Amino acid sequence: MMYIWSHRPQFLHLGLFFAAYVLGCGFAQLLAIVPGTGISIWPPSGLFIATLVLASRPSWPWWVAAGCLAELFSNFLWFHSPLPAAFLIYAGNALEAVVGAWLVNLTCRRPVRLESLQEVLAFVVLAAGIAPVASATVGSATLAWFGMQSQTFTAAWPLFWIGDATGVLIVAPLALVVFQNWRDVTQLSKARWLEVCILGLIFLGVATLSLSGYLPFAYIIMPPLLWAAVRFEFKGAAVALILLALITAVFTISGASQFAGDPESLKQKQIMLQLFLAISAFSALIVAAISQQHQMALRTLRQSERQLQRMIDALPVRVWSATSTGQALYFNKRYQDHFRAVIPTFDASQSPRIETLVQELTHPEDAPEVQRTLWNCFATGNASTMRFRWREKDGDYRWAECRVEPRCDEDGAVAEWYGVSLDIDDEVRAQAALRERERELSLLVDMVPVNIGRMAPDGEPTFFSKRTLESIGLDDVAALDKPGMSRVAAMIGATVHPEDGPRMREVLGRALATGEPYTMKYRRRRADGVYRWMEGRAEPLRNQAGTIVQWYVAAMDIDDEVRAQEALRDRERELAQLVDMVPSLLWRLSSEGEPTFFNKRLKNFLGLDIGDAGKPGMIRLAAVIETAVHPDDAAGLTEALNHCFVTGERFFRKYRLRRADGVYRWVEGSAEPLRDEGGRILEWYGLTHDVHDQLLVEEALRRSERQLQQLIDTVPVQMWCVSPSGEPAYINKTMVDYIGLKLEDFDAEGGLPSAIETIVHPDDKAALLGALTHSFSTGEPFELKFRNRRWDGSYRWTEGHADPLRDENGRIIRWYGANVDIHDHVTSQEALLERERFLWQLVETLPAMIDCAAPDGEPVYRSQQLREFLGYDLEELDGTGMTRLAGTLDAGVHPDDVAGVKERYAHSLATGEPYARRHRLRRFDGEYRWVETRAAPMRNAEGAIVQWNVICLDIDSEVRVQEQLRLAQENLARQTQAASLAELSASIAHEVNQPLAAVMANSHACQRWLTADPPNIERAQKTVERVIRDANAAADVVSHIRALFKQSVKTQRTDTALSSVIAEALDLMAEEAGRHRVRINTDVERDLPLLVLDRVQIQQVLVNLMRNGMDAMDSVAGDRVLGVRVRRLGGLVQTEISDRGHGVEFPERIFEPFFTTKGHGMGMGLAICRSIVESHAGRLWVETNKPQGTTFLFTLPITAEAAR
Amino acid sequence: MTTEDHAMTTEDHIVYIVDDDERIREALSELLESHDIHAIAFASAGDYVGVDKPDVPACLILDVELPDINGLELQRQIAEGDHPPIVFITGHGDIPSSVRAIKRGAVDFLTKPFSDADLMAAIHAAIAQDQANRSERAELGVLRQRYLDLTPRERDVLPLVVSGLLNKQAAAELGIREVTLEIHRRNVMQKMVAASLADLVRIAERLEIPITHSRRAGRS
Repeated sequence: MMYIWSHRPQFLHLGLFFAAYVLGCGFAQLLAIVPGTGISIWPPSGLFIATLVLASRPSWPWWVAAGCLAELFSNFLWFHSPLPAAFLIYAGNALEAVVGAWLVNLTCRRPVRLESLQEVLAFVVLAAGIAPVASATVGSATLAWFGMQSQTFTAAWPLFWIGDATGVLIVAPLALVVFQNWRDVTQLSKARWLEVCILGLIFLGVATLSLSGYLPFAYIIMPPLLWAAVRFEFKGAAVALILLALITAVFTISGASQFAGDPESLKQKQIMLQLFLAISAFSALIVAAISQQHQMALRTLRQSERQLQRMIDALPVRVWSATSTGQALYFNKRYQDHFRAVIPTFDASQSPRIETLVQELTHPEDAPEVQRTLWNCFATGNASTMRFRWREKDGDYRWAECRVEPRCDEDGAVAEWYGVSLDIDDEVRAQAALRERERELSLLVDMVPVNIGRMAPDGEPTFFSKRTLESIGLDDVAALDKPGMSRVAAMIGATVHPEDGPRMREVLGRALATGEPYTMKYRRRRADGVYRWMEGRAEPLRNQAGTIVQWYVAAMDIDDEVRAQEALRDRERELAQLVDMVPSLLWRLSSEGEPTFFNKRLKNFLGLDIGDAGKPGMIRLAAVIETAVHPDDAAGLTEALNHCFVTGERFFRKYRLRRADGVYRWVEGSAEPLRDEGGRILEWYGLTHDVHDQLLVEEALRRSERQLQQLIDTVPVQMWCVSPSGEPAYINKTMVDYIGLKLEDFDAEGGLPSAIETIVHPDDKAALLGALTHSFSTGEPFELKFRNRRWDGSYRWTEGHADPLRDENGRIIRWYGANVDIHDHVTSQEALLERERFLWQLVETLPAMIDCAAPDGEPVYRSQQLREFLGYDLEELDGTGMTRLAGTLDAGVHPDDVAGVKERYAHSLATGEPYARRHRLRRFDGEYRWVETRAAPMRNAEGAIVQWNVICLDIDSEVRVQEQLRLAQENLARQTQAASLAELSASIAHEVNQPLAAVMANSHACQRWLTADPPNIERAQKTVERVIRDANAAADVVSHIRALFKQSVKTQRTDTALSSVIAEALDLMAEEAGRHRVRINTDVERDLPLLVLDRVQIQQVLVNLMRNGMDAMDSVAGDRVLGVRVRRLGGLVQTEISDRGHGVEFPERIFEPFFTTKGHGMGMGLAICRSIVESHAGRLWVETNKPQGTTFLFTLPITAEAAR
Repeated sequence: MTTEDHAMTTEDHIVYIVDDDERIREALSELLESHDIHAIAFASAGDYVGVDKPDVPACLILDVELPDINGLELQRQIAEGDHPPIVFITGHGDIPSSVRAIKRGAVDFLTKPFSDADLMAAIHAAIAQDQANRSERAELGVLRQRYLDLTPRERDVLPLVVSGLLNKQAAAELGIREVTLEIHRRNVMQKMVAASLADLVRIAERLEIPITHSRRAGRS
C-alpha cells in the first residue's frame, strides 16, 4: 500500500486526467447518434492508454481509480446506466487500457515516441487492435447482461470494438504528443509557419466541404491529411486527426454529414463514420512514422558525413581527389586555403585541372617534372610519388611530397584518383644541410695547409689529402702501387731526400712497431723537384680494444723556418761587426756594473781596454770612471749609475770624458738593461756619443732664444702663433697677462673656436671666425678689428694682424699674429663720430633754415629745413650758368626785395660784417613768405673768414600777425570812436555846431558893424557873406545826416516784391548812371517770393551800393559796367551789386562808421546799409572780383509769413 | 599905490583865440574887432604857446577839441605860470569836462553856438580878472621889497609884534630891553608903511608871516 502511495502522481495531473476523461465521455455521448446504443467513438480509451503508457507502472492504480471516478461521474451525468453495469463497463475499459499499455511498453522501448514505423505498427496493432477486444467483450457482455437498450452481445461488440479502437487511434497519439512536448516549444521557421497556415486552410476547407455533404465522399480528406503527416510527422498527424474528428463530430451531430442519415441506416452510418475515422487515423499515423523514420535516417547520414569531412579537414595533410582524367573533384580545406592564399582567382567549385593548379603552384624548376609524372599517372593508371617545391602565400617555396593513387572499380579501370600532399620542407632542408656540412669537412681537409694522410696499421698509405697529392705530384694514392714494393717504400724512395730516407725508415718502423706517435724533420721533394724541409707527425687511432685501426699523418712544410734560423745566425755575425763599426762608443756592463765589453771605438777613444782599466783596490768601473771622466762629473756619474743599477731604470747623462789625447769632451751616455723573461737584469748596454760640438752650439742657440723670448715677452704687443689649421700654438707673455689665460687653458677647451669663444666679444665672434677661416683657407694675411676680453672681463677694441710662415714649397707652417689694443683710439674716434653725428642732426633738425656758404658767399650746405622750404637741392643749381648764390637769390627772393638783399649781402661779404635782413622768399609752392636772414662769418685762428653761417627764419606768420594786430588796433580805435549812438550824435552835433557858431559870431559882428556910428557897411557885407556861407555848410551837414538817417524813420514793413524795389532803384539811378557813363546789367530771377521788407530802406541800401559802385569806376578807363543780380538761394534771396573798379583795400573796415575812402563823404553810407540789412535779418558783405572790381552782396530771408 | 584904470581900450588888452576851425577863428576875430578888441587867432595850442605875449591884460578863448593837444590839457600845462584867464568854447560840451575846466580856474565854458552877449561878458570878466590879478601881484611885490629892507632884528621883532605880544613880553622873548624893542617896533612900522598895528598885522598876513606866539601862550 505504501508502495503505491509513494508513487502517487500529482493531484493536478490526476485532476486534469479526470477532467479530460469526463470531456471524452461527453464527446462520446454527443456522437452516440445511434439511438439506444449509446456506443460510439470512445476518446477516453485513447487518453487512458496514452496516460498509462507514459506513467510508471506503480502509479497505475491511481490512474485507474481516477478513471473509475470520472466514468462513474459521467455515467451519473449522461449515461444513467445502473451502477453495476457502469462499473463493469469501466472495468472493461480499464482492462483495455492496462492491457494496451502493458503490451505497448513491452514491445516498444521507453519512452514511447511513435517515431519509427515499427513503433507505430506495434501501437496500432496492440493498443488499437487487441486492447479494445477486452473492453468490447466486457462491455458488450455487460450490456447484454443487463439488457440495456436491448443490445445483443453480437450486435454491440463490433460497435464497441470499433468505437474504442477509433478512440485510441485518434486520441492516444495526440495525448502522447501533448504529454511529451508539454514543455518544449518547437521553433518553426517562417516558411514552415506559412506552410502550416496554408495546409490548415486547405485541410479545413476540404474537411468542411467533404464532411458537410457538399462533396460526395469523405475520403477526399486523405491528401491534406497525409500532407500533414509527411511534412509535420507525428505531431502534424495527431493535430490533423483531432481536427478531423472534431469536424466530423460537429457535422455528424448537426446532421449535415453524410454519416448522419435516416434512422434505418443509422447503425450502418455509425460504423462507416467510425471506420472513416479509424482508417484516416491509421493511414496518417503510418505515413507519419515512415516520414519520420526517413528523416532520422537522413539526419544520421548527414552527421556521419560531417564528421568525416571534419576529420579530413583537420588532417595535417592536403588531400585531393580527381576524376580518372585528372579533373579535380575535391580538395580538403587545408588545400583550398593554400590555393586561395597563393592563387587569388582560385575557385574550388569550378573543378580546375590538376595540371593547371600544379602549373600555378609549383616551383618553376619543378613544374615540368611534376607535370610529366602526373600525365604519366593518368595515362598508365600507376600510383606515383613526387617531390617538388610549392609556393606558400608569402612567396616562399617549401618542399612537398605528393602521393597519387588510383581507385579502381570492379573492372580494374581507374575510377578516381586520390592524392595526399605532405610538407617535407624541414626534412629536405636538414638533408641539404647535412650534405653541405660533409662537403665543408672534406674541403677543410683539402684546404688546411698541412699535408694530411692516413695509413693502415701496417704503414701503407690509404689516403692523401688533395694538398698532399699535389705537393708530391701524385694523382692518387694508388699511383704508389708498384710491383714488388710496399707503398711506403715507394713513397720514401720517390719523395724523401736521399740523406733523410734511412732515418725516416727507421723512425717509421719503430713507431709502427711500438704504436708510439712520432715527430721528425726531413726533406721532401716537391713536385717541381725542389727539396723542402718538412716536419712529419703521426698519431694512431685505436679502437675500444686498444688495437690500432689507422694512423693519421700530418706533414708541415717548415722549410721557411729552417732557412730563417740560418739567416738569423748570419745576422748575428754581422751585428757583431756592426757594433765595432758604428761611430759611437758602445759598452756593456754586467748586472753588477762591471764593464764587460767596450767596442773598438771606445777603446780607441779612451786609449785603454777593459783589461787595462783595472786598478788595484778598486772595482773596475770605479777605476774607469776615475781615469776617464772629468773630476767634476765623476761623482755625479757614479751616483747616477748606481741609482740605475739599483732601480733598473734607464741611464742617461751628459758628462765630460777624457779623450786619449787628454782633452775632455762632452759626451752623452745612455744605457738600458737587458732583462730575462723573469724581468731580472742580465746586462747593461750602453752607448756614448760625443756631443761636445753640438752642446756648444745648443748653448749659443739657447742664449739667443732666451733673448728673443724676452724680446717677445716684453714688447707691448700681444703675439700669438697658431698651426695652419688654427690650433693655438703659442701666445706671448703680454697676451697671457692681457687676457689672463694661458695657452693650456685653450688646449684644455678645444682649440681656436674655444679660444675665440672665451676671449672675443660675442658680437665679433662670427666676424673673427669668418676672417680667420678665410685666411687659413686662402693663405691671405689676416687683419681685423674686434673686441677682445681683457683679464678684468672688460672688452676692448683690438686690431689683429696675422701673416703665414711658409716653407720652401710655399706650404704654410705657422701663422704668426699680433694683437694691438686700440681701444682708446677706437672709443675716441667713436665719440668724435657720435659728436659729429649729433651736431649734424642738430643742424638738420633745428626748426630753422640753415645755410653755410664759402667765404665768397657760394652756398656749400643747406639744412633739410631749408631744402624742403626751397623745394630743391643745392646741387640742382649747378650748371645753370649762374653761381649758386645768384641762382638762389634770383629764383627765391621777392623781386621787390632782391636788389636790397644782393647789395647788403655783397657788402657783408666784402667787409665781413654780420648780415641781417628781412625780405620775402619764395617757397617751393610759389608763395612768398617773409623771412629773416642773418649771416655771420666763421673765422680761423688767423682771423680769415673760412665760412659764412647763415640762418634763415620763416617769420611770415609773425609779420602777418603783426599786420593783423595793427589792423585790429585801428579797428578797435574806430569802433571806440563810434561806440555809441551818443558819440555818434556828438559827432553830428559837432559837425553842425561848428558852422552854426561861426554863423552866430559873424551875425553879431555884422550887427555891430551896422550899428556902429558910422556903420561900417563894407565889413558888414563881408560878415554877412560869411554868415551865408557857414549857414549853407550847416544846412548841408544836416541834409546829409538826414539823408543817411532816413532809415531810422519808423515805417511799415510789408510783403513786397524785391524786383519792383530794384526797378524803382534803377529808375532813380538811371540819370546818375548816364552822368557817370556807366552801363547797368540787371539779372533778376523770375518768380521770386514776396519778402517782408521796408521798401524805402532797402531802396536806400540799393541806391547807396549802386552809387558806391559807380563812384569806384570813376577813374577806370575801360568798360564801366554795374551788375545787379538777384537770385534765390534756399531760404534766402541774394542780391549782388558788382563793379569793375579798383577794388576795396580794406574789405572789413568799409562797413565801420566814419570810414571813407572818398574825398568827400562822411563814411556813414555802408555802415547804415549794413545796419538796415541786418535789421531785416539779412547779411551784407563784400567780395573781390576777378580780375578786378568788387561785389557787394546782401541776403534777405524768405520768412514763412512772406511765403504766404 | 593907485589902482589901475578899468576902462578897456584897444591897445591895453588882448584876446587870444585858439580854434582849429578857420571859420570860427574868422568869425570871432571879426566879432571882437567889431567890439574894438584886439584879437589874435591861433590854429593850434602849439602856435599859441610858442608866441611871445605883450605884458598887458589878456584873455584866452580856447577850443576844447584841438588837433595837437586837448584844450583842457593845455590849461593844465600852463596852470603853473602866469597866464590869462581862459574862456572855453566847445562843439559838444559835456558836463564832466566843463566842471573840470571851471575847477581849474576857467572863467567860463561856452557851448557852440554861443550868444554874442555871453561871449562878451565872459571876455570882459576875464580881462577884469586879469587886471585884478596883475595889480595884486604888483602890490605884493612892493610889500615884499619893504620886508626885505628890514634889518634882521626888525624881522625878528615883526612876528612877535603881529602876534599881539606886549612890548615887555616881546623884549623878554628876544632878551632885550623893552626900550630897545620899542625902537625896533617903530622902525618896522615906519619901514613897512603901516599906519597902525592892525595895518601891520594885515601886511604880515599878506606876506604870510607866521604868527609864532600867541599872547596867551606868552603869559603862561
